[in-house]
Amino acid sequence: MRTLHAEWTKFRTVRGWVLGAVGAMLASVLFLLVGTASSNEHPQRATALSAGPGGGAVNDSFYFVHRALSGDGGITVPVTALTGVLADPAGAGTAGGPGGTTSGVTPWSKAGILVKQSLGQGSSYAAMTVTGAHGVRMQDDFTHDRAGLPGSPSTAEPRWLRLVRTGGTVTGYDSTDGERWTEVGTARLPESATTVQVGLFVAAPAAVRASGGGSSSPATATGSFGRVTLSGSWGQAAGGWQGLQVGDDAGTSGSYTPGTSGGWTTTGEGFTVTGAGDIAPVVGGPALGPAFTVETFLVGTFVGLIMLTVVAVQFVTAEYRRGLLGQTLASTPHRGRMLLAKAAVVATVAFAVGAAAAAVSIPLGELRARATHFAVLTVPTAVQTRAVLGTGLLLAATAVLSLALGVVLRRSVTAITAVVAATVLPYLLAFGGMLPSGPAEWLLRLTPAAGFAVQQTLPRYDQVLTVYAPSSGYFPLSPWGGLAVLGVWSALALAAATVLLRRRDA
Amino acid sequence: MSGLHPAGFRRACRAEWTKLHTEAGHGWLMVALVLVTAGVGAAVSANVPCPVAGCGQDQVRLSLAGVSVSQVLAAITAVLLVGGEYGTGLIRTTLVAMPGRGTVLAAKATVLGGAVLAVGSVAVLASVLAGRLLLPGAGYTPAHGYARLSLADGPTLRAAAGSVLYLVLVALLALGIAAAVRDAAVAVGVVLALLYLFPLLGHVVTEPHLQRLLAQLGPMPAGLAIQATANLHHLPIGPWTGLGVLALWAAIALFLGGAILRLRDA
Amino acid sequence: MRDDVGIELAGLRKRFGETQALDGMTFTVRPGRVTGFVGPNGAGKSTTMRVVLGLDTPDAGHALVGGRSYRSLRSPLTRLGSLLDAGALQPSRTARNHLLWLARSQGLPARRVDQVLEQVGLAGAARRRAGGFSLGMRQRLGIAAALLGDPPALMLDEPFNGLDPEGIRWIRGLLASLAAEGRAVLVSSHLMGELEDVADHLVVVGRGRVVADTGVRELLAGVAAGRVTLRTSAPLVAAEALSGTGAAVQVTGPETLGITGLPGEAIVARLTAAAVPFAELSTHRATLEEAYLALTGDAVQYRSADAAAGVER
Repeated sequence: MRTLHAEWTKFRTVRGWVLGAVGAMLASVLFLLVGTASSNEHPQRATALSAGPGGGAVNDSFYFVHRALSGDGGITVPVTALTGVLADPAGAGTAGGPGGTTSGVTPWSKAGILVKQSLGQGSSYAAMTVTGAHGVRMQDDFTHDRAGLPGSPSTAEPRWLRLVRTGGTVTGYDSTDGERWTEVGTARLPESATTVQVGLFVAAPAAVRASGGGSSSPATATGSFGRVTLSGSWGQAAGGWQGLQVGDDAGTSGSYTPGTSGGWTTTGEGFTVTGAGDIAPVVGGPALGPAFTVETFLVGTFVGLIMLTVVAVQFVTAEYRRGLLGQTLASTPHRGRMLLAKAAVVATVAFAVGAAAAAVSIPLGELRARATHFAVLTVPTAVQTRAVLGTGLLLAATAVLSLALGVVLRRSVTAITAVVAATVLPYLLAFGGMLPSGPAEWLLRLTPAAGFAVQQTLPRYDQVLTVYAPSSGYFPLSPWGGLAVLGVWSALALAAATVLLRRRDA
Repeated sequence: MSGLHPAGFRRACRAEWTKLHTEAGHGWLMVALVLVTAGVGAAVSANVPCPVAGCGQDQVRLSLAGVSVSQVLAAITAVLLVGGEYGTGLIRTTLVAMPGRGTVLAAKATVLGGAVLAVGSVAVLASVLAGRLLLPGAGYTPAHGYARLSLADGPTLRAAAGSVLYLVLVALLALGIAAAVRDAAVAVGVVLALLYLFPLLGHVVTEPHLQRLLAQLGPMPAGLAIQATANLHHLPIGPWTGLGVLALWAAIALFLGGAILRLRDA
Repeated sequence: MRDDVGIELAGLRKRFGETQALDGMTFTVRPGRVTGFVGPNGAGKSTTMRVVLGLDTPDAGHALVGGRSYRSLRSPLTRLGSLLDAGALQPSRTARNHLLWLARSQGLPARRVDQVLEQVGLAGAARRRAGGFSLGMRQRLGIAAALLGDPPALMLDEPFNGLDPEGIRWIRGLLASLAAEGRAVLVSSHLMGELEDVADHLVVVGRGRVVADTGVRELLAGVAAGRVTLRTSAPLVAAEALSGTGAAVQVTGPETLGITGLPGEAIVARLTAAAVPFAELSTHRATLEEAYLALTGDAVQYRSADAAAGVER
């Protein structure tokens, strides 16, 4: 404890180091302002992203043939086909027309039934749907997804879907014959919503290609539904079904292919519905477009990291250079304890700097985004908090790594370069787009740069297709997993430093 | 003010060269420069596949990828050449022996530039050779539209020679900064920040104009444009213009370093 | 005597923030003698030397080496050899290589390096890393660097630091022989005793300016003339006899008096006339240390305290 206090006194009495730490925080924030200096040239493309019930940004855009349901009730329908149209990726058609199309269905195109709290963007819902390539699914509130029957529907083998609302609970069933039903799952809607919108919906997320850093092109889907069976008390105000494009634009999830638009027709007892877009959480990658993420707002971390590395390395190499180490070791003969105390001091300072800078940067970045007409990919508060604390821990671990390498290498220049080259450089190489995703992911798994994963707020969902690769801002490791890799590096370096400090003469 | 006497400058160069080659650390850094440049270049050449014709990769750039890693070694050498002297107090001995401060910096720049030019040439040649041997194995074959890597090819020669100059200019930029900052640790932090922050910011910024501007102004992204041999018209900045931007950065840094060296007490 | 080889400082002023480090420093170092440069720590000795070497730029005044400013010299080490900070070297470079680059910078041949290494007694350690040198060896290496250009003037800052008695003896001899060869030699020290028997001339500084610029013999004589110790069995009678002569008398012991302001012969005459018995009268042979203390502010305080103690007794 006395050692700790001594090391803390040493740190805070060197003006350059204190200035370096405070400067690291200010520079981080300043760097963010530089990064968000310019305005969006196409503000119309940046419709604000809605937030779903969980707090994360969502796409809520699809074609909906709906009517109101008050109280309990149910809807049952067979889906006989799901077809679609894809825009040519190059955008240049063969002959005539701005862009050609081919027929095809994207894997997560949807045709099914939906119980939605309201027509408002991001409102709570539960859906049973047939998909392009993933069989029958029950999805609710954007982030939840359960598998039902496999395979695709046809006239001979339709997929029967059913949703039953009882109080605040919606239960989904599927069936191949309309007689033997299997429960797929249940979802909860807010109790306050007495009247909900129920009906048929079709959505088609954009087609995504991973090649060339990832790109996307519009897709449209058409669902063929059989006879609809309703139970419960249904509003008759408008005399029956109404068609509506929910979400004016298709959000970031795609838009209609050339020459198509959303709509519905009745065919005999059934319906044919055409739609595009998606009901799903927003993810990163080619489909996201020019939106800001929390990661964007944390770009200043790099400045802070470099400055803190300089301070942390000098905190120990200064003792070598000025011959202070002998004196320090004389007053603290236990060398390991001295090193731990130093590590504790720089880690605490770095954590405070990182967390404070992040806590300021995120709201400031959101303000800047609003001022410059950029959409912001909002994330749940818990995720944001993780990013803030994670940034602090990231810098703390880097500071410890710096300190330890300062002991191992003894030369501040070499140590600083080693730390920056081990953290920032792999990040730059992995995300710079030069390396293909394989080597890029290995860099982000093995090097200390893995720690930056803790700042990732872009969500990853199996039910949303994008390029989940470094080129889209996705780390191969989970946030805490990545930070743990950096932690292991720091711990190893600290252990090596302790051993060397004991063995070597001061 | 003492101008540059040819004789004095020659002596200063001989003195600085003696310092450079009698310091083992510099030698190891130069060896590392060759190994890292060629090693990273070979690793990238062997591991970035070209599975189909028209895979869109620039094979010359891939084989020279090591430069973007090894540039820090050129920068460290430069920083130690000045900042190291401030750390030990040797700078005072240097300035007592050679009171013409402009001459000292010019001599350091000449000797450093010459050393990095020589070592950088070896490093880049080794990279090109590694690329020549390894790239066909990764799919860069005539069938996929790639000729065998050769310095007889104009753009390849330009990229290779330019990469050597890039290393020299990065070293000079670092030298100028070290002379201006007068502390090796802080200097290396500034150099690394200057090199890396532009591309990092460019990666985060979504607005295309700002992104382009960052790629045109940053010493690293602009300077590395010299390595491009494909899609030249899509680049934010032309190869030689880009290297010119880096040269401008280096000139500004050296001027600043020289001015501070002259004006401040040692 | 070559008049143009000395070091000449005129009206040097230099301020570091709040501190006036140099406040009109003016003196000349002449060839053929060792000039001691003395003053307490912080008196401006090192700053003066740094200004002479062009490391610091003075706010006012100028310093000339052989009639020219240092920064205009083409081969400065052949005009003025200097030792500022013996630790100012790259620890991983060998002693020989350290001198080699210095020689290259002056256009001197490598053989000169071996000569000076021999001269300072480091020939055996020439190929060892200077970082492993003891403080004394570093001082020798620094002196070798100063001698490298065979300069007509030398300026050494605290060369005795870290040397063992043998080393101190060696450097004294070296300084004397350098001066005997007609070189101008300036040696700083904060301990006057170190310059005893070496310096021919003294420049005493305090608070950034020259307090005294005098020959060592004159300085010693001046102090010695002023102080006489008298042993007598009747100190009070003796003090009585000397009153009214302008002499200041202090009781320094039960049977001793310290007398200043009256030459020894006059005291003897006076005491004999008054028939005061005395056992011994000695004219004080002052050490340089005492002469130095007599010139500095500290000395005044020291003497008054001493006097107060004497009166109490």
